[in-house]
Amino acid sequence: MSAPGERIRRFGRRHIVNHLVMLVCFFGLVLTGLPQKYAGEMWAKGIVLLIGGVERVRFIHHVLGTLMALQLVWHAIEVAWLQLVRRSAMPMVPMLDDVKNFMRQIKFNLGLEKRPPRMDRYTFAEKLEYLALVWGTVVMVLTGLLLLYPVRWTSLFPGEVVLAAKAAHGGEAILAFLSILTWHFYFVHIRHWNTSIFTGKLGAEEYAEEHPLELARLRRGEEPSPAPIQVWRIVVFLAVTLAIVLGVVLLVAWMRGSAAGIEVFKVAGTS
Amino acid sequence: MKSKRFINLAYYLVALPVALSGKLGLAADDKVCLECHGSNQQVADAASAMDLKLTAERIERLVKHPAEPGNAHTGIACVDCHPKASEIPHPADTLKQSPCGACHEDALKQVNQSAHRDPLGGSQLRAPCWACHRAHDVRSVKDPGSAMAPVNVASRCLACHAKKEYLVGVHGQAIQLAGLDVSATCVSCHGSHDILAPSEKGSRVARRNISFTCGKCHGRVAEAYRKSAHGAALTANDNPDVPTCVDCHEAHGTLDPALPKFRLASPKTCGRCHASEKIMAKYGLSTQVYSTYVADFHGTTAELFRAASPDQPLNQAVCYDCHGYHDVESVRSSGDAQIKQRLLTRCQACHKAATASFLSAWTGHYVPSPTKYPLIYWVRVFYRLVIPGTIAFFLLYIAVDIVGRRRIRRSS
Repeated sequence: MSAPGERIRRFGRRHIVNHLVMLVCFFGLVLTGLPQKYAGEMWAKGIVLLIGGVERVRFIHHVLGTLMALQLVWHAIEVAWLQLVRRSAMPMVPMLDDVKNFMRQIKFNLGLEKRPPRMDRYTFAEKLEYLALVWGTVVMVLTGLLLLYPVRWTSLFPGEVVLAAKAAHGGEAILAFLSILTWHFYFVHIRHWNTSIFTGKLGAEEYAEEHPLELARLRRGEEPSPAPIQVWRIVVFLAVTLAIVLGVVLLVAWMRGSAAGIEVFKVAGTS
Repeated sequence: MKSKRFINLAYYLVALPVALSGKLGLAADDKVCLECHGSNQQVADAASAMDLKLTAERIERLVKHPAEPGNAHTGIACVDCHPKASEIPHPADTLKQSPCGACHEDALKQVNQSAHRDPLGGSQLRAPCWACHRAHDVRSVKDPGSAMAPVNVASRCLACHAKKEYLVGVHGQAIQLAGLDVSATCVSCHGSHDILAPSEKGSRVARRNISFTCGKCHGRVAEAYRKSAHGAALTANDNPDVPTCVDCHEAHGTLDPALPKFRLASPKTCGRCHASEKIMAKYGLSTQVYSTYVADFHGTTAELFRAASPDQPLNQAVCYDCHGYHDVESVRSSGDAQIKQRLLTRCQACHKAATASFLSAWTGHYVPSPTKYPLIYWVRVFYRLVIPGTIAFFLLYIAVDIVGRRRIRRSS
């Protein structure tokens, strides 16, 4: 069926860069975030010492957090382009079939079924991770913004919301980190040593095992071609993009309003 | 051998007439004493003539240098204090009993009541007068050369008392480095002739009296302290738990409270008592004030900041920024509305735009519960369930997957 050693293109440059940026942000944020959550622990202080002080830790955390938030914005625009203009399918969105595949895989693993489920471009494991990543990033970015500008946000919400956001920020962080250590590491490091997100190519055998439906399509030469570009769709896309960018700019401007800053080094105290 | 005998003979030739004239009262003039005790060489010669082996230190101590200007005892002869020195060779103990008491009766009386008195009630003081004032070069305390001048006091007391941290404390440094003689020396706080152990009620450094002792210089501060929750409890019923000045500032190694180091270490200082179940249980106070502080943004920053740069200025709120320090009040002494009003003022000192709704961004040391700050509580509960639930689900699935893959490998 496939020549030994054959490698099939799975990801383009867009995917590879996106993943790399996310990887650096994610581990950078974990490394600079955990010591803040567990400030009383010796290891937390050790990390802070190695990085060079809590201010630098926070600075790195804020820069990487901003980068991750921008990635989220970028992804929204990306989705808008693919959906509105190219009208391509959304292979990463979990569907009912994925639940069925998941059940079938378990049955197969337990020996209750003869054949494993045949999956398309993304397995249910990958889709679950995509869902968790988008959801997690949204939670982390929103709660992070609350923590970054607490005074501003309390003009809309009671202060308790800031602390709830802090609890959620920490909880979600642990959840995400442990998920990566278990789910992600198992599927791409242990189950297979899968380097396709870095090289863009996956071995044909693994492709056949994990994405037989897509591979069959590829072999038949049925590459789904994107819809032809129409001018009015581009106009709609530009309007959506403008709305997103404007929304982000206004939000940032509102949060950074001059009155929200804090006076540094003014230490109150009488007696 | 021959020469030694000769020296022996020479010694008696000199010493005998001296001794005889001493008996006749001629030694009221120190000249005679100085014939042997005038220089190291003379003492050494006399000693070897008497077949005595003296160390260099001992020789040094036996030398009576001529009195320098400023010596308060120029009019006093050797034999006034050493009457038995008129016998030659000198008996073992030439000094008369309590020699200083003859003139300084009041001072001796005070010492006899002090911590330095003879524990057996006799005249063998624990610290004899000359331990502090020197034996021969006795000067007025106002003389900078005096052993009891502010700059020299510590070196005399430290000879017996292991409190070297005084020298690096703010008071010791003020005197030693800054030449600020009005700063506190040992005697400023402990007293001089009437010094008493801190455990004794009348001691200047007994718990009850410390604020008054420090208040001699730090008057307003001491007064504010005595009105505070801590000071009032001490005044009212000798409360053994409340801190006095030295519990926060250290008695000897007193750290300059204006230093960043003091500020950074202060939450730990308060936490020593306020995180102690044993002490707080008596007063129904929470012991979680420290842990809730560290868990909050200000405390987290302070804790991590201290780890990396313990001597740099910190711009985060510490305990006393909200609670005050010398005038610290119990939160029970004012109503909820008043506390909120004052807290907002505090918040606004740094967070200019803070409004009343900003206040609940700090739980006031409360640990969130279903009734206090329920939103935070439920978010925490959510993650406490979701994290282990999700990870357990992942691990379980992975285990099943591993089992399945092994089965395939075996069958193929």
